[in-house]
Amino acid sequence: MNQKIIYYPKDGKPNLIANEWQVWDGERDEGGIPDLEHGFHKVLVPFHWWITRYKNADIIERANKGEIGVWFAADDDILKHSEIIEEGKSFWPVIGAHFPIFRDGRSFSTAALLRDRFEWQGEVRAIGDVLIDQLLQGARVGFDAFELRPDQNLDIALKQFDLFSVVTQNSWRDQRATIA
Amino acid sequence: MYKYDHIDQTLVDQRVTQFRDQVERRLNGTLAEEEFRPLRLQNGLYHQRHAYMLRVAIPYGLLSSRQLRTLAFIADKYDRGYGHFTTRQNIQFNWVELEQTPDILAELAKVEMHAIQTSGNCIRNITSDAFAGVAADEYVDPRPICELLRQWSTLHPEFAHLPRKFKFAINGAKEDRTVLLCHDVGIELQKNPNINNGELTANIYAGGGMGRTPILGSLIKKDVPWQVLPSYLTALLRVYNRFGRRDNLYKARIKILVKALGPEEFARQVEGEWTQLHNATKQGKDNFSQAEWERVAKHFTKPSYKTLPALSDEQLQSHAESRLDANEKIAFTRWLERNVRPHQVPGYAPVILSLKPHGTAAPGDATSAQMNAIADLADQYSFGELRVTHEQNLVLADVEQAELLNLWRAAKNYNLVLPNIGLLTDIIACPGGDFCSLANAKSLPIAKAIQERFDDLDYLHDLGDITLNISGCINSCGHHHVGNIGVLGVDKDGEEWYQITLGGDQGNDASIGKVIGPSFYANEIPDVMTSIINTYVEQRSTDEPFIETYRRLGVIPFKEAAYKNNGKHSKGAAV
Repeated sequence: MNQKIIYYPKDGKPNLIANEWQVWDGERDEGGIPDLEHGFHKVLVPFHWWITRYKNADIIERANKGEIGVWFAADDDILKHSEIIEEGKSFWPVIGAHFPIFRDGRSFSTAALLRDRFEWQGEVRAIGDVLIDQLLQGARVGFDAFELRPDQNLDIALKQFDLFSVVTQNSWRDQRATIA
Repeated sequence: MYKYDHIDQTLVDQRVTQFRDQVERRLNGTLAEEEFRPLRLQNGLYHQRHAYMLRVAIPYGLLSSRQLRTLAFIADKYDRGYGHFTTRQNIQFNWVELEQTPDILAELAKVEMHAIQTSGNCIRNITSDAFAGVAADEYVDPRPICELLRQWSTLHPEFAHLPRKFKFAINGAKEDRTVLLCHDVGIELQKNPNINNGELTANIYAGGGMGRTPILGSLIKKDVPWQVLPSYLTALLRVYNRFGRRDNLYKARIKILVKALGPEEFARQVEGEWTQLHNATKQGKDNFSQAEWERVAKHFTKPSYKTLPALSDEQLQSHAESRLDANEKIAFTRWLERNVRPHQVPGYAPVILSLKPHGTAAPGDATSAQMNAIADLADQYSFGELRVTHEQNLVLADVEQAELLNLWRAAKNYNLVLPNIGLLTDIIACPGGDFCSLANAKSLPIAKAIQERFDDLDYLHDLGDITLNISGCINSCGHHHVGNIGVLGVDKDGEEWYQITLGGDQGNDASIGKVIGPSFYANEIPDVMTSIINTYVEQRSTDEPFIETYRRLGVIPFKEAAYKNNGKHSKGAAV
């Protein structure tokens, strides 16, 4: 995992902050969330794992402490599970959306739906194969946090957000620029 | 034509900066080729068989003379002195250097041009009718909508990494000149007094395409008010982005999704998404506003036409009579017949300049000298504008009929007046294996051989309208599926073979051609064409075009003729 993430709040500036969330893949499940790396208490669990366990008392207890968020796989159909997501919104401090490979744009639509349809106000974090040149698109569709693939240069990444001063379609972050 | 405002200009300038940085990172090794590839493709930069190829967008096919001169300049300075106009109304330069592409893009930005989204798995250059705004059969000028959607689609963040490329075409005339139903989305514009208070609306077709699985698009929504196109198309693309197949490159186009779900179910899903987008949270904020329309549409008003009498062809010929010798008279008459079209305004005509000289250059190629000459012709005869057709020719849209003879003489010097528009040798062809690394076989030598075989203009005119389209691979850039005669290059055991399809058609009766049987060697193709054409000549009724004869008789007589001499050479089953 990357020790730092880019956090870019909707009305703020992009900056580097410590990564407090460990992404867990849902494997090696021996009755619950496994021990995490030293120092980490907060974990993003796969949504498919959440929907089978979220009524368990131990999960609710940790969720209530703000230590559990979920992440959506690129092929999760989030509209099919809208009731669980609506319920989950009160538990999760962070929602992740996963890029299995950088050129798979499904999670762009997931983020857009989380913002548009579910009116999710909390953090949406891009995880997985997240590269410098996806940041602009991600920031516009609804992501406000990015855990980049560890080999990416964070200084170059931070400069991406200043590249364009105009946009020609509406998005979560901006209305299109118009003359009229 | 449309003029960039500071928003458009800022965007293309900043895009150049962005790409320059990406190229630098590629060159210094911090960006891997695998990761650079989709970035360069979204800037029109391919790596071809021999070199990099840059594809420049010509939105809805409209160009100014100034822009064309810049293209000529780029051809000379950065390439080998020519460019190739494509079926998607783009132009390609075949021999550019990676290091120089940011400079080329900067040159383009100076004349309000770019290469954004001319390739890659995103919304591609939006195409339209090359005769938009002047066609006599037009009921809506599609260009303001084309331009508004160009802006909407440019660097659209949600659709930057779709399952596959995504192509729009927009038509507003009685005759479809856009191959509307072979697009991922076809937008048919209309104005009906009974719908939307007579305001502009659109019928939306989706799921058409050529390639490996050619399918004609299905009507999925009627009478969409123009204002809501952004939210409707967002909904449509969102459904495709989420559910289009990504496991198999060949099954990733929207046509496969629409076919798998069925058009009704696809339409229902889009409608569901759109209802949410449009009604729930946005309160119409995505809608195109009247102010936006007015800002864009003011650039597509009519040029300052003179009040002129409409001249008939007979009047034009008799006007030219005294100024032409006998040979010229025939040539000019043929040109009037094939290369000059009806116009909305009396006394004017759109003129097609042929980029299909027989056997001497690749279809769609223009040298920098030709480009500069055409720019001059546009300035002198057509308000400084021109258009690119999807058949890979150029159009001067607003020529005074009384100037046609002068234009013809001037264009003749640059080998642009061959009167073969719509005839057998007006071949659509992709660059094929000579350039393209995807191709299985060459296209250009086949086109050349056919043009050489059918070089007799009298005979070609007698044959009348026949479309012949050649693709060097199943990607179908040469639109072979919708040629009356289609040729597809195929690879069998490392050898180049050519498969023939018959019965394809573009236009209002669009149809997909049928494969006639096993494929042929390259050197058999001219004979095969001769056999097919002879069968048509023998079987046609008076004035019956090729496609009608084919539809009446079916494939069998043509197939028998094609294989009568060549069967012994053909190999294997149809692929």
